[in-house]
Amino acid sequence: MSTEIVEMHLKLLFDLDNLLNDMDEPAYKKIGFKVEEKEKQSLIKTRTDLLKKLPRATADIYERLKKRYQRAIAPVDNGFCFGCFQRLPIQLLARSEEIITCPNCGRILYWRKK
Amino acid sequence: MNLASLLSKDRIILSLKPGKKNKVIEDLVYTIKQGADAELIVSTLLKREELGSTGIGKAIAIPHCRSLAVDKLEIAVGRTTKPIKFNAIDKKPVSLIFLIIAPPQDPGNQYLITLGKIVQIAKELIKKKLIGKAQTPEEFITLIDQVEKGLKKGK
Repeated sequence: MSTEIVEMHLKLLFDLDNLLNDMDEPAYKKIGFKVEEKEKQSLIKTRTDLLKKLPRATADIYERLKKRYQRAIAPVDNGFCFGCFQRLPIQLLARSEEIITCPNCGRILYWRKK
Repeated sequence: MNLASLLSKDRIILSLKPGKKNKVIEDLVYTIKQGADAELIVSTLLKREELGSTGIGKAIAIPHCRSLAVDKLEIAVGRTTKPIKFNAIDKKPVSLIFLIIAPPQDPGNQYLITLGKIVQIAKELIKKKLIGKAQTPEEFITLIDQVEKGLKKGK
């Protein structure tokens, strides 16, 4: 599987996880949007299918990080990991085309397209 | 933080071409992001719609999600020239859409606070029959500012 496809699946998986997390937030529930339980279960299944599409090692890292931090991926901004707010080593920045993890917190790093 | 300050006139389309719900969402997302980022956002927004329509009734919808593709809270507003089907809570068509995208890391949970505020302001727009009032994006921002200030005074 190409790096681009893995990255695309990871981003979608991450956005789905954020969607599911928000649904359970008391502040979100209070706003009063309609959420169908049946559809929520279907989304959980989509998530599981997406996870299966990833290489096993990547899926395991993602799940482990999600369990630890709730959010497994951290954006990179101005050379900082936005998960732990530590400056990333320059050598790492030069490898921004790869799927890599933060040397400090271990989160999967994501470089936004400018 | 007030809502009017988060609005930008180039992300307010008051003569949005009516079409299918997905197309209208896509048009609004493209005022914020393009290319692969826009596709990712649209895909997540549509997944959110599958969970239950964000059409809150009385012609207003508030599609929303978090996405890695943005680094700050982004809002786009669209008013369709004709109401469109949105599978809203009251089963009625929608003509005013507030679209919100937030980054995953969101200090102070600004996303949920803003979402709640938009729902509150949207209800006020319905109550005072103001949905069709603004004729330009600038007027729309002023209107939102006035409604928001009115709500604060009423507290």
